[in-house]
Amino acid sequence: MDQDSELARRAAAGDAAAFTALVRAHEGAVRRFLSRLTRGDGADDLAQETFLKAWRMAGTWRGEGSYRGWLMRIAWTQFLGAHRARGRSDARDQAVYESDTPARHDAEGAIDLDRALADLDERERAAALLCFGEGCSHSEAAEIMGVPLGTLKSIVARARTALAARLEVVR
Amino acid sequence: MTEDGANTEDRLIDERLAALFATAQALPDEAFVGRVERAVLAEQRMAAVRKALWRRFGIEAAGSIAVAAAFVLLGRLGPFTLELGEGPFSPAVAAGLALVLWLAVEMRPVPRTGR
Repeated sequence: MDQDSELARRAAAGDAAAFTALVRAHEGAVRRFLSRLTRGDGADDLAQETFLKAWRMAGTWRGEGSYRGWLMRIAWTQFLGAHRARGRSDARDQAVYESDTPARHDAEGAIDLDRALADLDERERAAALLCFGEGCSHSEAAEIMGVPLGTLKSIVARARTALAARLEVVR
Repeated sequence: MTEDGANTEDRLIDERLAALFATAQALPDEAFVGRVERAVLAEQRMAAVRKALWRRFGIEAAGSIAVAAAFVLLGRLGPFTLELGEGPFSPAVAAGLALVLWLAVEMRPVPRTGR
């Protein structure tokens, strides 16, 4: 049994210290994912809600797949819930960024990924973050996002094309 | 372009994108970890309080049902005369006394815990 599984088993039995160890191990990935998904708007609150929900649902983790993947799935669900509750739309996202469309390079040549990501819809953004940013396989990302594998592959293909064009990754 | 050629090209683009997404491994943010830890402990305390309240509610509901059932059963016994002259230990007086004691215990002031 790997370390996460052992800690998750103890957390399911009500061991708060074991759960804190899991938070320490995975908070970086969850917050990075949510921060880029929301572009920083309330990402930490969502991350905290994600971990609280994981604590409440600790007994439901069956040990299938990685614990991080399970957390990411909760984070994605939390994001969708918050996003829908606020009634935001892609139109608003577009409006915020429409005057700034070209991807920006700073003095050191680092590319402004966040602006490129802002042009994607939320599913494309999440798929790109999971597959390119977190190194998830397509099947893991499909599981996290709760979509069929074929659908996920289509989403990733669209995200790849859009990001490659925006970030000037030459085909 | 063949499908293999397209796949190889996609893979190269994926690798470049992954390199752009790569971030340095940061140490855990202890402030955030502490925030979650406090929230989890608060949840744990709330759950314990909720459990205690439900248990108390269950016990009191069972007690109330028992008292109500006793009254219903007594009501079905038909008219009877209360002989107060029988002395202080008659069953009716004892039952009344028990009811008063139960009410007194239920309505006692709750000591402050300082929280």
